Amino acid sequence: MAKVYDVIVVGTGAGGSTVMKTLCEAGLNVVALNSGPRVIPSMHYGNHRRRFELQYRGFGDPKTKNQRHGGCDSEITTDLFEHEIRYTVAPGGQWVWTRCKGTGGKANFWGRSSARFGDIDFKGASRDGHDVDWPITSEEISPYYSRIERMVGVSSTVQNRPSNPDGDYLPAFGHRCMDWIVKSACDEIGVPYLPDRIAQLTVDHNGHPACHYCGGCRTGCDSGSFFSPTWYFIPAAEKTGKLELRTDAHVKNVIVREDGQAAGVSYIDRATRKEVEVYAKVVVLAGSCCETAKIMLNSKSRHWPTGIANSSGQLGRNLVDHLYASAAHGILPRLAGQPSRPDNASSSTVCWMPRWQNLKNPFEEEFIRGYSVYVGGGCQEYPSYASHFEGFGSEYKRKIRKYYPTPVSFGIQAPSLVSEKNYIDIDPVVKDIFGIPVARFHYQWGPNELKMWEHAKEVCADILRRADGENWGAGAKPQPPGHSLHETGPCRFGNDPKKFVTNRWSACHDVPNLYVADASMFPTPTDKTTTISILAFALRSCDHIIEGFRQGSFG
Amino acid sequence: MAGQGPERREILRILSLASAAAEFPGLTKWAFAFDDPPKNGLAQGPKKTYKPQFFTTEEYETAEILCDLIIPSDETPGAREAGVSEFIDLMASRDAEIQPKFRSGISWLDARSQASRQKPFRAVSKEEQTGILEHLAYREKHRPGEEQGRAFFNLIREYTLMGFYTSRIGFAELDNPSLRQFYEKDPLGCTHVNDREHKHLSPIRQ
Repeated sequence: MAKVYDVIVVGTGAGGSTVMKTLCEAGLNVVALNSGPRVIPSMHYGNHRRRFELQYRGFGDPKTKNQRHGGCDSEITTDLFEHEIRYTVAPGGQWVWTRCKGTGGKANFWGRSSARFGDIDFKGASRDGHDVDWPITSEEISPYYSRIERMVGVSSTVQNRPSNPDGDYLPAFGHRCMDWIVKSACDEIGVPYLPDRIAQLTVDHNGHPACHYCGGCRTGCDSGSFFSPTWYFIPAAEKTGKLELRTDAHVKNVIVREDGQAAGVSYIDRATRKEVEVYAKVVVLAGSCCETAKIMLNSKSRHWPTGIANSSGQLGRNLVDHLYASAAHGILPRLAGQPSRPDNASSSTVCWMPRWQNLKNPFEEEFIRGYSVYVGGGCQEYPSYASHFEGFGSEYKRKIRKYYPTPVSFGIQAPSLVSEKNYIDIDPVVKDIFGIPVARFHYQWGPNELKMWEHAKEVCADILRRADGENWGAGAKPQPPGHSLHETGPCRFGNDPKKFVTNRWSACHDVPNLYVADASMFPTPTDKTTTISILAFALRSCDHIIEGFRQGSFG
Repeated sequence: MAGQGPERREILRILSLASAAAEFPGLTKWAFAFDDPPKNGLAQGPKKTYKPQFFTTEEYETAEILCDLIIPSDETPGAREAGVSEFIDLMASRDAEIQPKFRSGISWLDARSQASRQKPFRAVSKEEQTGILEHLAYREKHRPGEEQGRAFFNLIREYTLMGFYTSRIGFAELDNPSLRQFYEKDPLGCTHVNDREHKHLSPIRQ
């Protein structure tokens, strides 16, 4: 008889690695399936290579430029990203889907901004009547955030703003010169300018060394000084001896038993291109938001003709993302001619402007909910502001040198509202290289998030004016949907089985031994990033799984 | 996983540098520009002739001149020392979309120069070359009918910036903090405690 594991975990990124570690430490036998190769930091990360040590100077090979989405899929890391298995976008829509197939996933290279979700996010519908509330409260999830923050280490300050709940923090990063200038302008108009919550170590923590400020974070951390599955949870899971990690195992679908419950999964071994089945009492999908939805939609059987656990018809629906766009960029001439400073040495957001709109009732803005702004600037690795100046020759070269410390930019993070028009389904025609039907995206930005962007442009222009800055304008158009990597929603949780794919523990209503443990479970978008919440909610799901095993619910 | 001292990281860096450098035959100045500076000074590097992969010999000469005009060698080294034209040739050689833009742009410059001086751009004096570029570079000097020339100037200027400011020489030009490998503690904190708004700083760099 084929071996039956306790748990199969699909995906080894932020959510998957949390589940692997937690369940292995609880003594369960876990097999984890990862679509691509094992990430080895000394081989795959940047390891302090600077641009002049790279063949294409960090711009990447022009020959393959159309297959890279930029961001974390860079010259150094591109081999870890999925370029073989395609996806489609329905006419009139837009989506870029950046998938890291190496173990640890995109969480090898993430931005590390780690604000907790709070009741302002969970009770959005009660406050403004739009969409649905979350089935849990801030009080209920708070201990899980604390456990995660203590495990991974998050640097910030206590700020006493209920819309942006405080956590258990390590010392914050220092303010750069540009931070003080922008902060003084924000103070004048009552906009918060505060240390971000950053999952990056300012002091040694749990055996992980403090950051050494090399600035190379976006190509992976060589010392494990910020959370990644590669340095944190995968080694912890392997240490238990309870984990079997299979790489190059690209999951195709969930297999069901006679009673319609999950029996295991079927995957393609990329090395042999053969299909392999693996069985377990519980299946946890954490392949990243849209990959999880795609696997479930592709899991059709006589029980589940439209995809597993889809009696609600909501599987793949409710897809949302953060609209990313430039709200303003320019220079702060007060810093012109100053000596260069290592402003980018932490490569983190350092400070941000967390949501300040619509916090009180009645709401003051025309849009629903609110957005946050990330502010970057100072001496950067590459002087992109130089393109803005006219001219050439020695005078031009001196000007570039003089203004090196001055650039500043404001990027908006605006949640899109749930829309009927935005969802993921399976392309009826196109198949990938393994013969698996591909994901098809239907997505366009809606008026609410575009209103937020207009609002942010005005506020940021005002801030720049007050800082004696030169405003060179906002972006002409937003980044395409998918760009932020903060997509959520297609398996969203809620109490009503008719309306939600998963329950408050992120187990499927229809299939109680099938869980999701990535951002696909989050019901509605917020102004905050998703990774730390994936960790916290996955940890909470694990409590439910462990309890289920204890009570014998899974046979 | 803990206790990875700077020594180990430095060894890793040197290893990765060595393997990366081994992959770039034919890139003479550029390879030189990303290597550690030789102890006996910049000018001592081997003088090899670069064989362009995309540009013709004449086009390559023109590209070199343009890079030099855009980021000249003056009180500090410029695009020439940093081997920027080799970088542009490599990028263009692998980018079918950009190739016609470089090729037709250089032809445009030559035609422009032929019309007034009966010589290609690379053969006229530096003053005449500068004169042609000024009409492309400054809005107040723009002339009608030179749209293609202006688009090409913007393109080659962008690639010159990319090539120069990502070279070791370009990093040194800006005193780019990335030249330094790492810091023992948080180096971000601003030190102007008596002038947080930075309204009374006196510039020390031009």
